Amino acid sequence: MKPRDVELLSSYLDGQLSPSDSARLESRLKSEPELVSVIDDLRAARGLLRQLPLRRAPRNFTLTRKMVGQNPPMPRSYPVFRFATALATLLFFLTYGLNFLAPQFTSQQVYGMGGGGGGVESFSAEAPAPEAPAATEAPAEPELALPQPTMVAPVPPVEDSNRTLETPFAKSGETGNALAQDQTQAQPQDVAPLVPSTWQLVLAGIAFAGTVLIVLMRRMAIKRWK
Amino acid sequence: MNEQALIQDAQHGDLEAFNTLILHYQDSVFNTALRILGDDDLAADAAQEAFISAFKSITAFRGGSFKAWLMRTVTNACYDELRRQKRRPTTPLEPDTDDGEEMDSPRWLADPNMTPDQKSEADELEHAIQHCLNNLPLEFKTVVIMADIQGMDYTEVATTVKVPLGTIKSRLARARLRLRECLQGFEELLPSFFRLELEGRA
Repeated sequence: MKPRDVELLSSYLDGQLSPSDSARLESRLKSEPELVSVIDDLRAARGLLRQLPLRRAPRNFTLTRKMVGQNPPMPRSYPVFRFATALATLLFFLTYGLNFLAPQFTSQQVYGMGGGGGGVESFSAEAPAPEAPAATEAPAEPELALPQPTMVAPVPPVEDSNRTLETPFAKSGETGNALAQDQTQAQPQDVAPLVPSTWQLVLAGIAFAGTVLIVLMRRMAIKRWK
Repeated sequence: MNEQALIQDAQHGDLEAFNTLILHYQDSVFNTALRILGDDDLAADAAQEAFISAFKSITAFRGGSFKAWLMRTVTNACYDELRRQKRRPTTPLEPDTDDGEEMDSPRWLADPNMTPDQKSEADELEHAIQHCLNNLPLEFKTVVIMADIQGMDYTEVATTVKVPLGTIKSRLARARLRLRECLQGFEELLPSFFRLELEGRA
């Protein structure tokens, strides 16, 4: 049996042949029993498939918005509000941080620029330096006896440190006055914020109101969508 | 049901309109997937995937037979599943009888409206047909499912599988012949008209 004949028979069964082709095939079917056998086979196979029961779907395949990744349509102004809120929140925290760090920054600047006057801390840091050799000189004799005295710098006695603190004041009474002036000048700078608190309040207000507005807009959009 | 109006609404994002279409076609889509994959759960998953994919790409539908378009989507979902199975083959969990042998017709295929005898016969015949369908090459199987089980005409089948009409005719004829040969192995299960033809020829 030629594949072409099988194809013709199959199409004939489905009524897909032109009238002339059908007539030609029908005349062949009368004279060729082999064709009849094949068309019976094809008809039987098709009949079996057609009588297969159509199963009901085990569940509904209807889609939810979540399944197709749909989001509720937001108002056009929504992105603007969202951006403004995000910006206000960011700026609020930025200004808050600046105001928090500003006093520390200014105080460091004040102490660092003290020059000859300096502060108490700068005295304590600088003063022992010239005294240190004197302190190490004192135990010069035991140093020879012990193997590692050069490694450990002896702590100057409390009296010595007091002396070193007192020494600059004693040497120069004006320096002490300058330090006192510096400190009194630094005090008001610690208190004054870099960004006015009014600005911070405005930013916080915008951030809060924006957040509330965004939540409301979302809720309304979802409600309308449902 | 105004199919064209529903399709247009769905193309504008109306999910409810698309769900109405789903309710109309879900049995056909599920049955197509079931006959291609031969497994209820996989068929249900493929049908669901096909509907999701169809909704997402419904704007690409440019008219013609919506059923054919849907069938192409589910066929693609089934092909994806078969490719996945090929990459990661698994052993099917066929239910066993009390003797520990594999059951020919699982009980879960039964239709609750039939008598036990009818159920048993129908199940076994369905199982035999499914077995023979599974033995067909995929391109033959798809064509025969569309034409003989879904009752689509040749043009719709050609649209679905995207091959020329002549190829559809050829594949369908060869698929039917192969099925016939395969089903002869299940002679005792076949309906009387089918058996009588065999006996007459012998």
